Amino acid sequence: MTAEGGVQYSKIAEIKGPLVVVDDVENAAFDELVEIETTEGERRLGKVLEVGNGKAIVQVFEGTTGLSISGTNAKFVGKVMEMPVSKEVLGRVFDGLGRPKDGLPDPIADKFVDINGEPMNPEQREYPKDFIQTGVSVIDGLMTLVRGQKLPIFSGSGMSHNLLAAQIARQASVVGKQDDFAVVFAAIGVQYSEAEYFRRSLEESGALKRSVLFLNTADDPAIERIITPRVALTVAEYLAFELGMHVLVVITDMTNYAEALREISAAREEVPGRKGYPGYLYTDLSTLYERAGKLNGRKGSVTQVPILSMPSDDITHPIPDLTGYITEGQIVVGRDLFRQGVYPPINILSSLSRLMKDGIGEGSTRDDHSEVSNQVYDAYSRSQEVRALAGIVGKAGLTEIDLKYLELGDTFEKEFLTQATDENRTIEETLTLMWKIVSKLPKNEITKIKDKHVEKYYQEE
Amino acid sequence: MAAQGRIVWVSGPAVRADGMSDAKMYETVTVGNSKLVGEVIRLTGDVAFIQVYESTSGLKPGEPVVGTGNPLSVLLGPGIIGQLYDGIQRPLRELSKASGSFIGRGITTSAVDMTKKYHFVPTVSNGDEVAAGNIIGTIQETDLIEHSIMLSPDHKGGKLSNLVSEGDYDLETVLATTEKDGQSVDVKMYHKWPVRKPRPYNKRHDPTVPLLTGQRVIDTFFPIAKGGTGSIPGAFGTGKTVTLHQIAKWADSQVVVYIGCGERGNEMTEVLVEFPHLKDPRSGKPLMDRTVLVANTSNMPVAAREASIYTGVTIAEYYRDMGKDVVLVADSTSRWAESLREMSGRLEEMPAEEGYPSYLASRLAEFYERAGRVQAAGSPDRNGSVTLIGAVSPSGGDFTEPVTTHTMRFIKTFWALDAKLAYSRHYPSINWMNSYSGYLADIAKWWSENISEDWFNIRSETYGILQREDTLKEIVRLLGPEALPDEEKLILEVARMIKIGLLQQNSFDDVDTYCSPEKQFKLMKLLVDFYNKGQQALKEGAALSDVRELGVVSILLKARIDIKDDEMPKLEQLEKDMHEQFKSISGVKVSN
Amino acid sequence: MASNSALESTIDKILKNTEHDILTNIKTGLDESQQSLDDAIPKLESEYDKIISDGKKEADKIEKQITGSSDIEVRNKQLMVLEEAVDKVFSVALDQIANADRSGDYSNLIKTLIEEATKILGTSDISIFTNAKDKDAVQSALSQFSGAELLSETIDCLGGIKVKSKDGAMTFDNTIDARIERLKPLIRKEIAAKFGVGN
Repeated sequence: MTAEGGVQYSKIAEIKGPLVVVDDVENAAFDELVEIETTEGERRLGKVLEVGNGKAIVQVFEGTTGLSISGTNAKFVGKVMEMPVSKEVLGRVFDGLGRPKDGLPDPIADKFVDINGEPMNPEQREYPKDFIQTGVSVIDGLMTLVRGQKLPIFSGSGMSHNLLAAQIARQASVVGKQDDFAVVFAAIGVQYSEAEYFRRSLEESGALKRSVLFLNTADDPAIERIITPRVALTVAEYLAFELGMHVLVVITDMTNYAEALREISAAREEVPGRKGYPGYLYTDLSTLYERAGKLNGRKGSVTQVPILSMPSDDITHPIPDLTGYITEGQIVVGRDLFRQGVYPPINILSSLSRLMKDGIGEGSTRDDHSEVSNQVYDAYSRSQEVRALAGIVGKAGLTEIDLKYLELGDTFEKEFLTQATDENRTIEETLTLMWKIVSKLPKNEITKIKDKHVEKYYQEE
Repeated sequence: MAAQGRIVWVSGPAVRADGMSDAKMYETVTVGNSKLVGEVIRLTGDVAFIQVYESTSGLKPGEPVVGTGNPLSVLLGPGIIGQLYDGIQRPLRELSKASGSFIGRGITTSAVDMTKKYHFVPTVSNGDEVAAGNIIGTIQETDLIEHSIMLSPDHKGGKLSNLVSEGDYDLETVLATTEKDGQSVDVKMYHKWPVRKPRPYNKRHDPTVPLLTGQRVIDTFFPIAKGGTGSIPGAFGTGKTVTLHQIAKWADSQVVVYIGCGERGNEMTEVLVEFPHLKDPRSGKPLMDRTVLVANTSNMPVAAREASIYTGVTIAEYYRDMGKDVVLVADSTSRWAESLREMSGRLEEMPAEEGYPSYLASRLAEFYERAGRVQAAGSPDRNGSVTLIGAVSPSGGDFTEPVTTHTMRFIKTFWALDAKLAYSRHYPSINWMNSYSGYLADIAKWWSENISEDWFNIRSETYGILQREDTLKEIVRLLGPEALPDEEKLILEVARMIKIGLLQQNSFDDVDTYCSPEKQFKLMKLLVDFYNKGQQALKEGAALSDVRELGVVSILLKARIDIKDDEMPKLEQLEKDMHEQFKSISGVKVSN
Repeated sequence: MASNSALESTIDKILKNTEHDILTNIKTGLDESQQSLDDAIPKLESEYDKIISDGKKEADKIEKQITGSSDIEVRNKQLMVLEEAVDKVFSVALDQIANADRSGDYSNLIKTLIEEATKILGTSDISIFTNAKDKDAVQSALSQFSGAELLSETIDCLGGIKVKSKDGAMTFDNTIDARIERLKPLIRKEIAAKFGVGN
């Protein structure tokens, strides 16, 4: 660290977009951290994207505004970007590059960790199966979150995703021992008020001292957004795997991250994939999302709830699409429900938790959970079809059983889905409500539940 | 003479090195001071373009690049079964011994334990003339796998001598030597084979035997043959991975190679955790005893993702050559195509559709061409097969994107996953209108000989009901169900019963997860019978509600879950009950 | 008078009936009010409970907020105090370095610093900057580095050298200040540990 690197180069060949091309460079490494010094003596950080034949292409996190060809110096630091970590980061607020934003000194590091992390060895992963009670019925009942899962919220602009994420963070922290739990929050290009809402929400639940905040707000440099989730996840991994904590990572908004990535790709004149996003968007996103998990022989876990706003509410847009292929399910916030004033406005039919099956059942929730949740999905899906049909042929054209489904749909939305932002339901309460919905049907319509469970839980009128 | 050059340029997984005029195309090289593994993919003058299979973070121009003289190869011998490999056949368990919970770099390990002893039983004698591909003896690799020790397909042949007697030997022991033209060659339990080169065989057979997967919608409606090719495209959340896991679990093959190519880490972990506890329905032994996993998860280096497909298929061919039926499942070929695209972009090649290289189609064709039911090279005569099943992850669920469209040209079974079905929790969400199988006619004989002569007709009848329903649905959408006459309403009703009672299958239910061909046929026949009896009852004046409310309906719907494979008499009883109940409603009408 | 008495009895009857009605009414009213009072009590109680529990919730929230925030405040004060201490240690150490004896080992140090710099820049065609104090030490070391020259202009630093390639493209800062800066995070950890803080 002393002798390696530290050479400053002053031959800047080109500045374009977020990139600076440095000439006559020897001894620079791929991915190396670079300090760019402006004529005014201001320092900015960047990293090497490409090096060779005497040239280095450097991506400047804080943007290239105000840089000039002459007078700009680039110092190659001799190491990749690192984040100082220690227990002391809890209760702290950092900027998007992991520098203190709360007026306090740099944390005294237990160690310095490469922010890119290393891929977890799949052989060393522990399969996630510990139920997290979020207290939100629709999640606990139908798309259960487990420790070590990555379950994103797909939302659209202006909807109540932040309320929901904050509620999950508050309520999930209540169960279990307080000491074990930590929240890492990364704001990527969101408005200050949204970040502040989240902070206050953690403060009011007393969880702030168990939280670490990384804030890159809308007015902060765009390219910095490439780094923000990485420093946040580096801290999360440290808290989880070195200190044994169960860490919930909330990242909002991943769409801004992908846009920063697109900006760099465009500046490098790469062949674009769909909608101008780089062909490696999938791989790049996976290097973030795959940092969720549990490891054999280690106590902690990293659970991720990334939030992304779908441009034009389009779930086939590359960002939600590629995210959905990597994450273990998705919670989809629906515009229609939101307009009707339903909170949380979750569209259960397009939502899913892949790890649910192993997190529920006897011993963790209840033996009938899987079956009753299948039946609720099935029934609500039928009720939606009937609703559409009723819109065309009118209620008169419906059969008796169709009308039952119609009623069931209403009960589902009004009594089960709808919930106050400070209402924390136990899993028992949630399951009772689910049986209330299912019990709207005559018994012979119940095809997904074993008879013994129908006998035990069916609510006769 | 191995090439020795220096790095001149680094960008992500792509490295250029000069001084490489001795390098060969597709030669494996070690890159940099930390000796990362790479492969030469283009040569221009003395500059080699190298794709690196490990993270290149921190790599500098000026660091050395050294050729190995060999193309990327896998080690083929006992000890492969039960392993979890990365894309270039490094056991992940061994990697974790070197670098802990996270994957470090520059680690070299052996693909199998070379010191493990196996009980070798020779099947040839000293003095025998042997040729490439010949079996010289067998060992028991796992409880399920009898492993034939074969001469490498590029062995020159010759006269066998120094053959060891039956006994326990490790992999490095010389089991025999062959002599030809004054040259002697040592034969060990293993040999190496380059992954990009298909292993040779004697001749190809037509695929006529179905690969039974225990999944009703596959076996009954869209079957795949042993040695065939299939593809399963679907948007995220349509249950692609679950379906592939089901095939890997229950397919009636002797070996399963499962490639996690650019997919989730936890999915590989799930297989690793689950398979040792699951029992093969035919032998009762743990499924792990026949399974090989190749994992290059999405966040692992992208170049190794490209290699993982070839590593997997070469292992599959090796077990095929022993005369085994092998199923290879690749999840997902789209991620593999993306790794091609990424390297192509770094090579600055002219892109074709959506940035994919123009050779995407030919690479896909080459891959699927490695499927087949063949007579293996060498003696004794034996037939084996490699069935290739590739998942496709079309962006935005759009089946017109390049990877899906090109794949469709080279496969014969197409299982189209449908987001709408998945949203309504109809699993497996294989759409019965968009899917197809080119093997139907080829394998009908097998069903007729082994299960029932009526199979083909009953299947057509069942499928016919689903097709009728599909057209009727349009009318219902416009006019409501009440607009239809009763016999058409019955079609809707029975189609619903077929969907719930036959097409849907709960992979998380102990009983329903696997369905024997006998039970599949019987369930299908019961539903068709119900339909025919129902239509007849309507003709004889019974009301639709009478048919709908028969006690047997809800039992039929749950029979797939409630009646186990070995409880076939219960289905016979159900058939009798059904006939009785139909009699009762036609009886009522007659007495009127 | 018969008629009178009949009238009277009628009036009496009416009165009685009325009285009965009134009495019944009063009784019903009484019963009803009693009933509604009875009903009101649990309602009131539940309302009361709700107010109390809402209040308690709110109090809990505020308590959590206050204890949480004060925990953080205390911790943050600690951090500031520690940082002050670390700063003090630093400034004392830097003073000592600035005023260190420039003979003996020190010229060896300068030599090592120049060696390191030429190695990193990959050339010995260099110009060297240093401060006034170290000029002599650098000048005497220079003979061992052909191609290296000492520039007359001085730089402001504690000691050590700054090297520039002659074409001006590369600079390497090997002043003591720069070296300390590079090591600062590690040094801070060491100092903090001496104060008994840190992991």
